[in-house]
Amino acid sequence: MDALPSYLDQSEAVRARFARIRQREVILEVRGLHKRYQSAQGETEALRDINFKVRRREFVCVIGPSGCGKSTLIRILAGLESHSAGDVLLDDKPVSGPGRDRGMVFQGYSLFPWLTVKKNVMFGPEISGFSHDSAEREARLWLDVVGLSKFADAYPHELSGGMRQRVAIARALVNQPRILLMDEPFGALDAQTRAKMQTHLLEIWRNLDITILFITHDLDEAIYLADRVLVLKAHPGEVQEVIEVPVPRPRLPGQFSSPEFRATKDRLEALIHPAEEDGDLSPALAEDSALQQHMIRFTDVADNVE
Amino acid sequence: MSLGFPAAIAHLPESRQRALLAVGSFLLPILVWCMISYLPFLWHPKVMVEEPGGVGYFQAGMLIDHADFAEQARQMREQGLALPSGIPANPIYLPAPHLVAKAFYTGFTTPPQGRDGVWLHESLWHSIQIIFWGFVISSLFGVPLGILGGTYTVLGRLQEPFIEFFRYLPAPAFGALAVAVLGIYDGPKIAIIVIGTFFQQVLVIANTTRKLEITLIEAARTLGTRGARLITKVVLPGILPDLYRDQRILLGWAWTYLIVAELIGTSSGITWYITQQARYQHFENVYAAIIIIGIIGFGSDLLLARLGRRLFPWDRTQERK
Amino acid sequence: MTKSKTSSAMKRWLARALLPIAAAACSFAAQAAQPLKIGYSDWPGWVAWQVAIEKDWFKAAGVDVKFEWFDYSASMDAFAAGKIDAVTMTNGDALVTGSGGAKSVMLMLTDYSNGNDMIVAKPGIKSLAELKGKKVALEQGLVEHLLLLNGLKKAGLKESDVKLVNVKTNETPQTLTAADISAIGAWQPVSGEAMKAVPGSKPIYTSADEPGLIYDVLAANPASVKARRDEWIKVLKVWDKVVAYINDPKTQPDAVKIMAGKSGVSPAEYLPLLKGTKLLSLEEGKKVYVKGSGFDSLYGSTKTVNEFNVAAGVYKKAENVDAYLDPSFTNAK
Ligand SMILES: Nc1ncnc2c1ncn2[C@@H]1O[C@H](COP(=O)(O)OP(=O)(O)OP(=O)(O)O)[C@@H](O)[C@H]1O
Ligand SMILES: [Mg+2]
Repeated sequence: MDALPSYLDQSEAVRARFARIRQREVILEVRGLHKRYQSAQGETEALRDINFKVRRREFVCVIGPSGCGKSTLIRILAGLESHSAGDVLLDDKPVSGPGRDRGMVFQGYSLFPWLTVKKNVMFGPEISGFSHDSAEREARLWLDVVGLSKFADAYPHELSGGMRQRVAIARALVNQPRILLMDEPFGALDAQTRAKMQTHLLEIWRNLDITILFITHDLDEAIYLADRVLVLKAHPGEVQEVIEVPVPRPRLPGQFSSPEFRATKDRLEALIHPAEEDGDLSPALAEDSALQQHMIRFTDVADNVE
Repeated sequence: MSLGFPAAIAHLPESRQRALLAVGSFLLPILVWCMISYLPFLWHPKVMVEEPGGVGYFQAGMLIDHADFAEQARQMREQGLALPSGIPANPIYLPAPHLVAKAFYTGFTTPPQGRDGVWLHESLWHSIQIIFWGFVISSLFGVPLGILGGTYTVLGRLQEPFIEFFRYLPAPAFGALAVAVLGIYDGPKIAIIVIGTFFQQVLVIANTTRKLEITLIEAARTLGTRGARLITKVVLPGILPDLYRDQRILLGWAWTYLIVAELIGTSSGITWYITQQARYQHFENVYAAIIIIGIIGFGSDLLLARLGRRLFPWDRTQERK
Repeated sequence: MTKSKTSSAMKRWLARALLPIAAAACSFAAQAAQPLKIGYSDWPGWVAWQVAIEKDWFKAAGVDVKFEWFDYSASMDAFAAGKIDAVTMTNGDALVTGSGGAKSVMLMLTDYSNGNDMIVAKPGIKSLAELKGKKVALEQGLVEHLLLLNGLKKAGLKESDVKLVNVKTNETPQTLTAADISAIGAWQPVSGEAMKAVPGSKPIYTSADEPGLIYDVLAANPASVKARRDEWIKVLKVWDKVVAYINDPKTQPDAVKIMAGKSGVSPAEYLPLLKGTKLLSLEEGKKVYVKGSGFDSLYGSTKTVNEFNVAAGVYKKAENVDAYLDPSFTNAK
């Protein structure tokens, strides 16, 4: 097995690209963000001192173990959740509450079941006062972008999971947001559909003036899509590292086995699934071992399936 | 997944099978009723006197317990008097199907007695109007309150304890009060239906509203929806199919209050017919009237269910189970 | 397009549904000022008014009345709520309704129960005297209770000489089948059911044995009595025609047909109920509406019921009986 390069090594082209990105204006800035939840079990510190910037047309992925606060973070950015301290600035202005300048795609199906595909996409423009005709024109355009023109008059329940998420993307993009927030949008899809959706999303991103903050717990997905990966750790949720992905663009599925890709993935693995340290279990691991201890055998000892 | 259809009808298309079973679900109880009514060896705990014979208090057509009849017959035999005769019969409260069918027919074809009398269908129509208005008025207030209470936690917490309390007060108890306030005609009757329906309605609809997928509301908010438009554009259409189903169930609920509602104020509607016929022990008429109510209630629900499937093509739970 | 069509059809349908209700509301508003409103219910002495209604005799008498058909207790509720001017009820119930605040004046007597109320005893028991020490089931505080006390007194017994079991009148037929119950008190048709339930059981004391124990009356709101005296007198005049029509063998079948129609039963079924009721013409009523202490006087009967009601705890304080009684309408020329 060949020795992998360091994930920090960047080719000339990649380094130049990152330099160019750094020249662009900052769309989203998060400064000293804290989030605490009060609940019956006491206080949970979901996020602690989160700081990062996202620049125009950058693709940033957020990754981390379950319960590390990824959804909390993106919901705060979307304005669906309040934060306990810190600032969220969009184009240098603090955000309060949800708004059309931030589009959101949820993991679960969030399409309005009572509206056809086209009407779902028209929802945003109509709410913001577009005439029916121009809203419809916009909707058709964006349905074309996600390749679902033929399904304009279908209801969401008649579509496959992947198609529904494409509609959700079109519905968010039609508002022409400054940033598209996506919370594990492909988490519920099967591997094949998921791969297709990733390629499709990259295609859209390449052709539009759109900045994307994308949450996932799938390492391959993060590396495949992102310029930079924000790695969170749990209990409390803190930024562990921000990784500049050294895999050159345009990204192709063939790159999954490239050395840069594997090196990055190794690094992410190490960050997210650290080797067990003696005696000092992280809370997440403590939870896992508690689960194992609780498993009761319901079968005869002699009747061992293994 | 439950087990499939029995082999006898398994080869038929599913819709036919379902129709057959639906018919069967009505035919079976009717069959049992027929057997009990027409097979003299099944049940028939009474004897209907045909000839009183020597028994002083017997009259033709009287229903006597088997044992008493036998005892009287024994006494007559001992005293050498004429023996009574009779045939097995069911108690007065279980008329045979054909009598009920006949009552059903004559009920509708008998012209009203007297000048201020009404046809049976007019009585029914009157009852239906009471239900209709009671339900409409209840819904006019109950549906918006339910939706608001389900949407805004504060409002829900403000109204629900009182409504929970009120819901346990029996609607019929408000009869005399309703008459005092609303007069003796349809007002108090409608009021009883409203009282009986409204409080359930608010709670049921608030619950339905709370069950709406929160993601839908959040999605709408990220698309720029705010304030009242969240309710009109998202909550309302989102719960509409369930709301419709709730309303169907609540309408059935309103029907159950009809009988108490119509007992107050002037006598009218189908209740008058039922109570009066029961008072004079004309149980075949009572059964006929009860069956009519069943047909109307069940029929309108079937229609509404069918309509629901048309109205909410996206909602698969409207489909038949 | 289709939408507008359905919505206009809907509107038309709504309008049609709305109409009778709106009409009822309007007619109510109009009536509040005009005709005398009388509530009546299903008892032969009161259904008798139906004859006058059907024959338009009130119009002929030049008085505007509107009869409203109720369940008995609903009719008293409506009267208590001030929604009708007069109601048909027993003299005892007039006191009970009045004890709650809705005072009334008994304008006239319509009838008395003449056998419809009865004490039914098991086979072998032939008189009230034989009930001594035995159990009698009836609904306490109602007419049958009063009937029993009245009979016991005549038989030289006291209430404490029998054991009273309190049951709903409707449940007395089943109760009579119980081994330890010797007799029940109920009115027709429940008492008839009791006799069918226990073959051979017989009435041993009925309202026919004490005519006037309970009188049925037409009682009116005192304010209306004062303000519309002449109209009420005209109403009473019609009553004589009604009684004559029902009692005349030539017209009786027609009368029974009208009454049975109102009650929803066949004339043949209705006739026995009518026979158990003694309708009182105004002349007969006059003879009863005189001061006295026996049951042949409305004064005496009402006074007895008053005492009974207090004793039975129906109300706490005795009613002022004289305020309810005013024979001047019955006596008016
Ligand atoms: N409404 C809430 N009230 C209290 N605690 C909450 C609430 N929402 C989230 N939390 C807690 O905050 C922490 C972060 O949750 P969050 O849902 O953001 O995690 P996540 O990274 O999105 O996890 P996953 O990968 O499973 O989606 C968890 O410990 C969770 O229990
Ligand atoms: Mg999450």
